[in-house]
Amino acid sequence: MTVVTQTAQEIIEYAKQTNEPDWFTTLRLQADQAVAELALPNFQKINYRSWPINVTQRPEVNEEPIELTELATQQANIVQLGSQLLQADLPAEFKEKGVIVCDWLTALKEHADLVQKYFMTKATKPTENRLNAEHVAHLTSGLLIYVPKNVVLKQPLTSYFFQDARQSRDYVHHLLLIADRGSELSYLENTGTYGQQECPANIIEEVIAEPGSHIKFASVDRLGEHTTAYLNRRGYLEQDARIDWSMGMMNDGNIVGDFDSELVGAGSHAEVKVVAISTGQQVQGIDTRVTNYGQHSLGNILQHGVILAESSLIFNGIGHIVHGAKGAEAQQESRVLMLSTKARGDANPILLIDDNDVVAGHAASVGRVDEQKMYYLMSRGIDQATAERLVIRGFLGPVLSALPSKEVRDILAEMIERKLINGQKDE
Amino acid sequence: MATLEVKDLHVKAKEEQREILTGVNLTMSTGEIHAIMGPNGTGKSTLSESIMGNPDYEILSGDILIDGQSIVGLPVDQRARAGLFLAMQYPAEIPGITNAEFIRAAINSRRPEDDQMSIPAFLQKLDQTLTTLDMTQEMSERYLNEGFSGGEKKRNEILQLMMIEPKFAILDEIDSGLDIDALKVVSRGVNAMRGPEFGSLIITHYQRLLNYIKPDVVHVMMGGKIVKSGSADLAVKLEDEGYAGLRDELGLDVKLVDEE
Repeated sequence: MTVVTQTAQEIIEYAKQTNEPDWFTTLRLQADQAVAELALPNFQKINYRSWPINVTQRPEVNEEPIELTELATQQANIVQLGSQLLQADLPAEFKEKGVIVCDWLTALKEHADLVQKYFMTKATKPTENRLNAEHVAHLTSGLLIYVPKNVVLKQPLTSYFFQDARQSRDYVHHLLLIADRGSELSYLENTGTYGQQECPANIIEEVIAEPGSHIKFASVDRLGEHTTAYLNRRGYLEQDARIDWSMGMMNDGNIVGDFDSELVGAGSHAEVKVVAISTGQQVQGIDTRVTNYGQHSLGNILQHGVILAESSLIFNGIGHIVHGAKGAEAQQESRVLMLSTKARGDANPILLIDDNDVVAGHAASVGRVDEQKMYYLMSRGIDQATAERLVIRGFLGPVLSALPSKEVRDILAEMIERKLINGQKDE
Repeated sequence: MATLEVKDLHVKAKEEQREILTGVNLTMSTGEIHAIMGPNGTGKSTLSESIMGNPDYEILSGDILIDGQSIVGLPVDQRARAGLFLAMQYPAEIPGITNAEFIRAAINSRRPEDDQMSIPAFLQKLDQTLTTLDMTQEMSERYLNEGFSGGEKKRNEILQLMMIEPKFAILDEIDSGLDIDALKVVSRGVNAMRGPEFGSLIITHYQRLLNYIKPDVVHVMMGGKIVKSGSADLAVKLEDEGYAGLRDELGLDVKLVDEE
């Protein structure tokens, strides 16, 4: 007779309720067993161990009703609230070309081949750390996107993922995005929180770039003030594949962002651009890594952030070139601008180089607003708060102007302005 | 008509002990152009920065008033909205905001929320002003002063001046580093502003600029205060005789920086 733990019991009940395939339930149970033995992931200078970040609640089917109109937006193709799919409106091009976009349960039931092949098998593993294991055991919502071989999509895909925080419940969400050989996709994701309750969020997003594929991945993250989040984005790049990451960390609560690109294939290329704004008393810890395994692979990190009030922002930039990655290149630049004396900022460049025939470089700075610039702007009649935002805009400019899409640039610029105006109220 | 008054102004730099302005008195009205001349290191720029409200300087005593209202307690942006403008010697470079966006924000900062300048009206005025200053459209779309040459920055200061239309404009050595053609363009801009609603205080080292912008009054500063005021002829006389001549004539005990 085997002993069934309470969590295992809850998982089995949930599986029955949703009728998910057995093989996935087995994965969950294995992950759940591993939780106790696994440690939290370690990120330099990001001290989150005392945060209520673990997801431990009974997984449940959430059918709390919502007025669709409250969260639907015209620009969105996909809108999800928790595990509920509120809107799925794909461009005609996607259907014609056989692109798969579906919610998690549908993915498990109808696209088991894809999920079994890619779900936490390449980009990351269920047992990589405790938060990953908790993720697999408690996963209740997500999205699968699959772009078939050689399909080049002209229309971008836009998704909105809302955490349902009307009641205190775990938000455990997974994105599995696969661009098959030679395909191209532009994807814009928005995360947010609906409701005001204290909740943990555990989000893992895997972006698999098969050989020769090109993915433009843009995100605007606006999780709520009462959400404590683990946000893990992983790119896995095969030969000559490319991912352009453009991420705007505009959350209001505490968050650990782990953004990694595994440059596995020869000639693979990741561009990672991050803009972050911390306000109030929040802590945003961002650990961005590129690991070059493939020869002549290229990983560039560019991250700029602004800190207001009593908040914190930590940027780790990790360039790791493994032995054998001849001709690989890893570059990074992390800059932090502090607007208040009570803010805390860090920019840590970390280079781990295990081969000789490579190029690697880093730049990092933490500084305050240039008084001369402020004086100049204000001398034309512009008030201090506006002048600060203009200086910030200039500071973030090098990242924004490097974003591959004008649409994303405009959206981010607007979100930045909004977050800054709100943040300045706490100054 | 508006007035700008400086009364017995004593100023030092924040980081230092030495008093730079040792009692400046000056009164001017809109409709007038005043020039302040003087040798190096005599406090001309300190005077302009103090009037504008640069936080690097500390007012020890005295007062600065617009229309009888003291402005020394006001931060720089409020002084600007009260009608002051300083064309700076070393304008800052601000990436991320275009010239045109910045100028429009500056204009609208002094207008009420419900009476902001419309984009068409703004663009029309901008076009005209660019033409007056021999500037290209492209310059208004570049980031504020970023990568501008010295001469382009000076022109850009005058562009802002003409667009914002302050009551009083202080031009701090606007002529330094300008060749004769650029000097003519800048002067054309300032002269275009002349009128009953506009006054200017022109700080310069050389009389040359005053050939193009005729001042109503010329003041000479030495040792941190105004030692002589007169008509435009005073500038010509200075050019001939030098500051040392005037100093000796006035019997002042002031050491000139350029003197060995």
